[in-house]
Amino acid sequence: MSANLLVLHALRCVGTTGLTRVASFTGMEESEVESELIDLAVAGLVTHHKGFGGWALTDSGRAADAAGTKAELESAGARPALTEAFDAFLVLNPELLDLCTAWQVRPVDGVTTINDHTDAVYDARVLALFTDLHARAVVVIAALAAAVPRFALYEPRLAFALARAQAGKLEHLADTIDSFHTVWAELHEDLLATLGIARWSG
Amino acid sequence: MEWVRHLSAALAEPPEVVGGKAHGLALLHRLGVPVPAGVVVTTEACRAYLRAGVLPDGLGEELATAVETLGPSVSVRSGAAVSMPGMMDTILNLRPTPEVLDKALKSVFASWDTPRARTYRTLHGIPHDLGTAVIVQRMVFGDRDDHSGSGVAFSRNPDTGVDVPFGEVLFGHQGSDVVSGRSLTHPLHDLADREPLVWQGLLAALHRLEQHYRDACYVEFTFESGKLWLLQVRPGRFTGAAAVRLATDLVDERVIDRDTALLRVSPQHLRHVRTSRITPDANVIARGLGVCPGVASGRVAVTADEAVRMSADGPVVLVRPETSPDDIRGLGAATGIVTARGGPASHAAVVARSMGKPAVVGVADLVVGADSVMVGERVVGVGESITIDGTGGEVALGLPRIVTAAADPHLHRLLDWADEVSGDRSAREEAERLGAAQAVLRSRRSG
Repeated sequence: MSANLLVLHALRCVGTTGLTRVASFTGMEESEVESELIDLAVAGLVTHHKGFGGWALTDSGRAADAAGTKAELESAGARPALTEAFDAFLVLNPELLDLCTAWQVRPVDGVTTINDHTDAVYDARVLALFTDLHARAVVVIAALAAAVPRFALYEPRLAFALARAQAGKLEHLADTIDSFHTVWAELHEDLLATLGIARWSG
Repeated sequence: MEWVRHLSAALAEPPEVVGGKAHGLALLHRLGVPVPAGVVVTTEACRAYLRAGVLPDGLGEELATAVETLGPSVSVRSGAAVSMPGMMDTILNLRPTPEVLDKALKSVFASWDTPRARTYRTLHGIPHDLGTAVIVQRMVFGDRDDHSGSGVAFSRNPDTGVDVPFGEVLFGHQGSDVVSGRSLTHPLHDLADREPLVWQGLLAALHRLEQHYRDACYVEFTFESGKLWLLQVRPGRFTGAAAVRLATDLVDERVIDRDTALLRVSPQHLRHVRTSRITPDANVIARGLGVCPGVASGRVAVTADEAVRMSADGPVVLVRPETSPDDIRGLGAATGIVTARGGPASHAAVVARSMGKPAVVGVADLVVGADSVMVGERVVGVGESITIDGTGGEVALGLPRIVTAAADPHLHRLLDWADEVSGDRSAREEAERLGAAQAVLRSRRSG
């Protein structure tokens, strides 16, 4: 995928955002991202709102992203392989959400209670389960990347969030803007966008 | 029989052998409440399957014989000794031939051991080697005709504890549609007019079950051509203000004594008494699942952009079908969020809790339009004020009164009893007052 399409696609998956998150999504330098965004703005595909969350897709930008990702998928004949790997992702997805929830709240005497993180044994157990799930996610992401190479970008981002959590910055599991959960949610959105699967629209 | 038991009043084995669900069904039989005919395959059979990878010798034949009288269509449900909601398989409407049953058993047994189920057990400290029982029952059809349907019912209101049966009913549908939130349910009381005999039967069953448990209870039911069947039962497991109201009411009804009431309520429940709630007289237009406690009021916004823009002029509540990553900044700008889809472990719930914002998810009859939201027949425009309660899951119009349970007269009664037991009337937190009384009661009982 070309750099400008990747930057466009970042806004599609992350939503309206600033340079930092686009750089994180694309693995590019912020200056490089900014230069791509300016080109995309000139082409009418993105706009910049000062004080309003940063860079956003325009309607034609959204259409250009859909066309670009579809062309990438179909020209490589990658749809069947990506669909199969997506099914494997969907098996992990509820488990990851269970883990994020267990990180944030836990039942005490039948009452769902905010996890105040005073029980180090419990937190260590949750972290170990994240590590275990990550090992299985690596396999799924390899399968996604075998179908469409840019999905490989998610692996180091998840690994980085997990490594920070393992180093004691536990908020990087589910509570920060670049947490394991956030990267996972972007991956989910990316798969839906790439495969052209509409979210429930009711 | 080695692996299979008939569901009957005589089934006396513990949940460790037959699972919690079958244990409850045997109780229903003993209380004379109608239960569809069925059998249960023991947890030991599951353990044998998980060890060997094949169904144990004789199980297939035993089951084939046991289900002969169940009719042309059966349900196959998991039922472990411990509750693992939504983790394991349920298969409805099967023809009970030996091959089909073998396959269904294997599928339910195997669902005990999925990675997600293992993760759930590790989190909750449940041993991995328990296995699940499997219940095979005659199918009853909630979609058979105009006098059929399904529902769930609590013997009392689980939000308030008030002694009025509470639940949902879905006419002309199977029970799976009630739980999934795919279809529009009616308040339980609609049964009274539409199916008075089913309603009477249900009230009688709830009453008998309360007497047995000396506690509120929860049931799942189906009615087929006007005939009521119960499919599951358990104690109500009320929490918070509802647990307090229930315990004090049961004392007034002479069902339990004061000491038992004090032991029924967990001090943990009282740690939440200072959390804001909307008052029961609020104009509630929808209910979902409260997944991050607290009350939020604000004007309705239906996109992240709108939430960010409108938040410059005052508080906003973001209302979405479900959340995508783009909604994170919308929630960042909002005071609370409502989504049509999702459960306690949805992206929306995880994000809301990470920001500590009140959230209500899974409002089944919520439709988000371009410049308004629809709940049932009611339309609420973008910019109109709503208030959400992230504890009880209520969505109300306007700005209802907000209270905390600390002002609840039932709580004051219970805590007066607690102080009497502990002999300590100093000013302390509610949870501490109850905890002190429980410590005295427990030492009395063990001494």
